[in-house]
Parts: sequence; C-alpha cells; structure tokens
Amino acid sequence: MAEFVQLLFNGLVTGSILAMAAVGVSLVYGVLRLVNFAAGDFMTLGAFIAVFLSISKGLPLIFSVIVAILGICLLGLALDWLLWKRLRENKAGTLALFLVATGVALILRQSILMIFSSGSRKFAINETATFGFLGAQIATSQLIVLLLATSAIITLGLFMAKSTIGKDMRAFSDNASLAAVSGINVNKVVRYVWIINGILSALAGIFQGMVQGRFDSTMGWTLLLPIFAAVVLGTIGDAYGALLGGMTLGLVMEMSTWHIFFGGIPSSYKPVVAFATLGIVLLVKPEGLLGVKARSI
Amino acid sequence: MNAFVQPGFWIFVLLMAGIYCIFALGLQVQYGLGGILNFGHVAMMALSSYTMAILVITYNWNLYLACFAGVVMAGLGGAFLGLTTLRLRGDYFSIVSIAFSEIVRYIIHNSDHLTGGAQGSLNIPSTRGFASYTDQFNKVLINIQGKIKPIFGSFASRDMALLLIVWLSAIILLICMSFIQRTSWARVLRATREDDDVPASLGKNVFLFRLSAVILGSVVGGIAGIYWALEFSILDPADFQTIVTFFAWMVIILGGATRVKGVPLGALFFGFLYAGTRFFQFPPFTWFDSVQRAYLRIMIIGFVLIFLMLKRPQGIFGKRAEMVLE
Repeated sequence: MAEFVQLLFNGLVTGSILAMAAVGVSLVYGVLRLVNFAAGDFMTLGAFIAVFLSISKGLPLIFSVIVAILGICLLGLALDWLLWKRLRENKAGTLALFLVATGVALILRQSILMIFSSGSRKFAINETATFGFLGAQIATSQLIVLLLATSAIITLGLFMAKSTIGKDMRAFSDNASLAAVSGINVNKVVRYVWIINGILSALAGIFQGMVQGRFDSTMGWTLLLPIFAAVVLGTIGDAYGALLGGMTLGLVMEMSTWHIFFGGIPSSYKPVVAFATLGIVLLVKPEGLLGVKARSI
Repeated sequence: MNAFVQPGFWIFVLLMAGIYCIFALGLQVQYGLGGILNFGHVAMMALSSYTMAILVITYNWNLYLACFAGVVMAGLGGAFLGLTTLRLRGDYFSIVSIAFSEIVRYIIHNSDHLTGGAQGSLNIPSTRGFASYTDQFNKVLINIQGKIKPIFGSFASRDMALLLIVWLSAIILLICMSFIQRTSWARVLRATREDDDVPASLGKNVFLFRLSAVILGSVVGGIAGIYWALEFSILDPADFQTIVTFFAWMVIILGGATRVKGVPLGALFFGFLYAGTRFFQFPPFTWFDSVQRAYLRIMIIGFVLIFLMLKRPQGIFGKRAEMVLE
C-alpha cells in the first residue's frame, strides 16, 4: 500500500510536468504544424536561467523564475520571427520544418553547454525533506511542485476554454483556413502560442529540475521523448488530449516500477514503457485518445 | 594544425564520408522514393553492428556470417518499425521512428549481460576472455594493405584498406539504387509520395510498397553499421544517438534530396565540413577553448542545416522543381 501511494504520487508529479510540456508542444503543432524538437531544450534553458540567477547571482527564486519565463517567451517569439515565419511564407514542407527544428535544438543545447558549462546544477531547495502520508514518504518539494503544476494546468484549461484567444487557438488547430477566413488574426494567435509555450516549457523545466534535484544540459532532451509520446497519445494538436496523455504516461511510467508488475520494471526503462503504452494505444486507436477517426471520401 | 597536414586524418575523413554515404543511401530510398520521413535510421546501424559483435564475441560465429545476420537484423528492425507504425500519418511516423531508435539505444545501454551496456562492446560476455570482433577482418585488411603498398606507399594504412572496401561497396550500392529507381516498384512508390488514393485505385497495396521501402532502406543502413563497427573495433551505445540520423539527413539535403547521385557528393561535403571545423584555429574561434570549440562544431552543423532549409531547400546539387511539388 505504501509503495502504491508513493508511486501514485510520483506518477502525478511526473504526469503534471509532462502534461505542461506536452500542451506547449501540442499547441505549437496545432497552430503552426511544427513539431518542436527544441521543446526539451526550451525546458532545459528555462531551468538553467532560473538556477543561474537564483544560485550564482543570489537573486530571489520567484524573480529568477519570472525572468526565465520571459526569456523563453522571447526566445520563442524571436525564433518565429527569424525562422518559422519565413518557412511559413516559403510554404516549407514537413522535412524542412523538422530539420530546422532539429538545428535549433542542436544550437540551443550547445549554447547551454557553452554559456553555463557542462556541470550539473541544483536549485537551493531541500529535496530530501519528506513527510509521512499513508505510510509513504512524500517529498515536500514534490508536493509543492504538484500543487503549482496543477494550478498552472487548471489556469491554462480555463484560459483555453473561456478566453477569446484560447477559442481562436482551438479554432485554428481544428481548421486553419476556416479560422483565417472567419477573421481570426493569424499573427496574434501565433504570438500567443509562443508566449503560452514559453510559460509552460520554462515552468515545466524548472519544476523538473526541482523534483530531480541535480540536472544537466540533457534534462530536456531525455524528457522530449515521453513528451512527444504524450502529445501523440492525446491526438497531436489537441491541447486537452496532451494534458490527458501527459498525466496518463506519467502515471504509467511510475507505476511500471511497482513490484507487482513482473517484479517491477527497472526505472531506466521508463521511456521505453512510455512508448510501449503509446504503441498499444495507437494499435487500438490510431487517431489517439481524443481523436476523431478521419472519414475518407 | 598538425592533423591538418596529415594524410592519415584525411583518409579517415574520406572513410567516414563513405560510411555516411552508405548510411544516407538507406534513407534516400525511403525519402527520395516514398517520401517517408524516417528519423530513427540510426537504430538500423545499432542493430546490425551490435548483432554482429554479439554473435562473434559471445557465440564465436564466423565474422561474415555474423555480418550477414547483422544486416538481416537491421532489415527485421525496419520491418518491425514499418509494420507497427507505417499505417500512422506522416508526422506520427516521424515521431515514433525517433522513439524507436532511442528505445533501441536504451535497451542496448541497459542490457549489460547481452550488449555490455554502458561500457560498450568491450564488456560483451566472451568465452575466449577478450571481447574483440575484428580479428578475422584485420587479417583481410593486412592482406589488402600488402597488395596496395606498391600503389599508395606509406599511405597504405588499415584505414586506407577499409576506405577502398567501403567506397567500393558504396559505388556498388549506388549503381543498384540507380537501377532500382527505374523499376516499376520505384514508380509506384513515387506515386504514393504524392497521393495514396491513385495508386490504391490501381490495385497497388500502398502499405506494402512503403513497408518494402523501409525494409530496403534499413538493410542498407545496416550495411553502414557493419562498416562502422569494423572501422572503430569497439561499439558504444552513445555512438548511436539520434544526431547521427540527422547527419544522414544533412548528407541527403546537401546532395539534393531526390537524387541518388547526389548522396556521395553530399557525404563528401558533410565529411569535410564536419572534420574541417576542427581546424578553425583563427579568430573568432580562438576566443573559445578546445572544449567550447567541440560544442561549436555541433552548432555549426545546426546553422548549416537551418541555412540550407531557408535558402536552398533543394540542396547544393538538387533541382528546385523536384522539391516544390509537396
């Protein structure tokens, strides 16, 4: 029982972080048709900026986090202006978008290594402080991250459901040309997508860094595959699907280490478990969890 | 500056270009003909090289039989990838193919008793007490070295002998691929690249055509893996990271995406670009120390990739008309 509670809790924490990042990736895909390979490195960069300001420069943590979020939002907007806008105008194909995104990811990761050097980092939080809950030992930092991530997700959900710009975004993901014809400002939607993506990926990166304890420049890339799995699981381009996919995979990944499953799958296989889950779901329902079967004519 | 004037280094660069040429040819079959965006190609190299190494080291197989088994394994890997994911839409397939290659790498990395795990092929369990799979092949190379000594003189190194074998294989494969381009199989595949419904209405099983393209490409990628393993005499799971697949994509793009004959040119161009960045011993590169310059090399690959896609998506040697159809 204690083990179950522990794993359930870990699963919720991993799931909420995955879900946040996955929504960012899914929104970017839905509106821009861009598979953002740099998403993981956006997260890493957010965490590195925050840890640099709060540890090396001694600034308050909240302030550092806000600067990190602003930085990632600006990065997204700048890249859109420099690259994605031009590629959209050129009507670039999937391959071009894929390769440019990979190029961006490579440059970002190497820049992080170059600017912050290759050592691992740590936030000034005590991740070993725990409290007992139903026999399990829960880390206080994990609980705080879970609460913050949940509130971020709920805020985002409300924003997507209620605000005009949220509705515009969903309209755009559903049918871009129809949305454009009905007078939705394309550039405004694109700008908001990068801002929301910046907030989500910076926060997800910082949270992951806090939960993990020590992290280095490969943190985001390691998470990128489970994030993609979550996005595809919840139907690519669907923000609510990405939330669901992220939470599902987080729980499945953590639960797979429970000893009742073949004596517990080794934790180094978690990304494999994520994709095995995705594979099984796609075999049964190729359009993803929330997808509607495309009707062929 | 020393390595810059050493012929041995440039032989190595040419040799690696040859291996990348073969590796990229496998991708070219998939993309150039079928428009399949496979981003997990490096898995085929990992599968073939590790299968070969394990069979030779642990099971004392004959090297050539093991090489053949390795290539078959790569083909099976391609079949598995295709069967499970090729029915998915294009973007889904690309994402899942990356995952496939990373999962292969994770499994190799974590299966200590079979693959040697993080310590690489040196740690593969062996009955003879040492884990080497190149003994048999080294004899062949030494033999070749003796034969080419009159022609190449002091350049007749192990790399030079392997270089000849690799480029000979590359040329043979190139000729095969050019031949395949003219078959009806290739014409149907090209039709599926534009549209599924037309070939399907003519009674062609689009899925089977795509699957066979993925398997063929994987087999070719597997051959590259064997040469990779033979060149380095030691395997490490870290050799097979996703970035290697992107190197192959860069080779294809440089050579002009839809042209088989562009692949060797792209591979040479890439080989010299990647190796040449070692010699940036002048400002602004001297502002950085050697560790930072190593990061800079990968960054330059990223910049070239972005620049090409923005300015010349058809590649250096490609035709624009063949690309804009998408």
